[in-house]
Amino acid sequence: MENILEVKNLNKKYDNFELKNVGFNLPKGMIMGFIGENGAGKTTTIKAILNIINNYSGKVKMFGLDNTKDEQKIKEDIGAVLDDMFFSEILTPKDIDKIMKGIYKNWDSVMFNNYLKEFSLPNNKVIKTFSRGMRKKLEIVTALSHHPKLLILDEPTSGLDPVARSEVIDIFQDFIQDDDCSILLSSHITTDLERIADYITFINDGEIVLSKTCDELLEQYGIVKCGEKEFKKIDKKDYIKYKKNAHEYDVLIENKKEFKKKYNVQVIDKITLDDLMVLMIKGVK
Amino acid sequence: MIGFMKKDIAMIKNNLKVLGVLVAFYLIMGLFGEIDMSFILPFMSIAIMISTFSYDELNNWNSYAATFPNGRKNSVKARYLTTVLIILIMTVITIILSLFISYTLNKSIDLEMTFLNMLAMIFGTALVQSFMYPIIFKFGVEKGRIMILVVIFGTVIVGGLFSSVVDLSKILNFLGVFENHWPLVLIVSSIAILYISYLISLRFQLKKEF
Repeated sequence: MENILEVKNLNKKYDNFELKNVGFNLPKGMIMGFIGENGAGKTTTIKAILNIINNYSGKVKMFGLDNTKDEQKIKEDIGAVLDDMFFSEILTPKDIDKIMKGIYKNWDSVMFNNYLKEFSLPNNKVIKTFSRGMRKKLEIVTALSHHPKLLILDEPTSGLDPVARSEVIDIFQDFIQDDDCSILLSSHITTDLERIADYITFINDGEIVLSKTCDELLEQYGIVKCGEKEFKKIDKKDYIKYKKNAHEYDVLIENKKEFKKKYNVQVIDKITLDDLMVLMIKGVK
Repeated sequence: MIGFMKKDIAMIKNNLKVLGVLVAFYLIMGLFGEIDMSFILPFMSIAIMISTFSYDELNNWNSYAATFPNGRKNSVKARYLTTVLIILIMTVITIILSLFISYTLNKSIDLEMTFLNMLAMIFGTALVQSFMYPIIFKFGVEKGRIMILVVIFGTVIVGGLFSSVVDLSKILNFLGVFENHWPLVLIVSSIAILYISYLISLRFQLKKEF
């Protein structure tokens, strides 16, 4: 499968934090959920991909092109929504339409205005009168209206109520109907990702912990809940991490089938992305 | 780049009420007062343009703009071109108002002197903006204010020391060479300082971490 985005050995050092050899691939026609706790490196990775930070090493390719050498060409085909970065609040969607016509060659005013109608966003009201949900929808609609092939979205659904989130997710699903288009989506709301993501990439403390298809992850990974006696029988290499609770152990395992066979366990809980994140971050080996 | 200029102009539209008040003030002072207020409108362009920086900073526009094709470069270029446009618009408004006031009061007007005054205003405004923009692009509006004060304070001290060492009459004599060419000197100097300032701002913007 052809990759629309390839990230290799991305390194970036700050005083208190660093990205360490971050790498993953996003195939065409797919949605990748990019997860990790606050400060894990999601936004820094996204900024490096977009080449809006400097002094990082590694390679980023989009559409087979280098993100620094072919930056301008690449950016015509990218739509970005970044957390708390947008147009001034004193502008209206009508202003944004006029402005974006002068920025993107492929800006589609008809598409933009149709989206505005679809999401009941008033054309002539200044952004500061919009609710957070309306504002977020406007940001997403703006990112979509120049026919990008890759959407890069940093927390696009944060702060939205369930109805608004559902509407936004529907937009992403429509966007992905074109097999040439992909989405890289960082989010804390893992239930949304379980609904739409094809791939999950998990970053922790600046390092990629895993990057797999969502189906693979949710089907193969599991949580074994057991007492101390049973836990001690488990070989260290057969689990990823465990967390000791008041009365039991939560043990994160990578292969439910093999584990069942080896330890004759009948019940292994299905994993959610939330469980995965908690156990990977808080659990011990 | 046109898109970036449209953005700046759309934001400036929000200041039209303030501009209207200033025009009215200028007219009243011109018709009833003795003080020449012709400097007020070109200098108003400084306040107008600084407000666009403030709005951008408030909404992290520069980071967002960096995700657009040629976003970093075009945001700087557009800011300078909009500045030139606003200075010219303000100058034209000032000239029209000056002519209106003279006509209303039946006063004769020295067109050549008015033109030269306007060019001096343009130069002064361009000089201030050329000095401020690179600092704002580098440090932002908030930190930039402190930096601007530091630089102004430093310049005053250096200027004071310079004037005590160098004979200023020699410099004034040297400037006398341009006596018959002031319009050209002012126009060329305004363009030159704005261009140099643009290059410095661009350098800062291209190296900026968002």
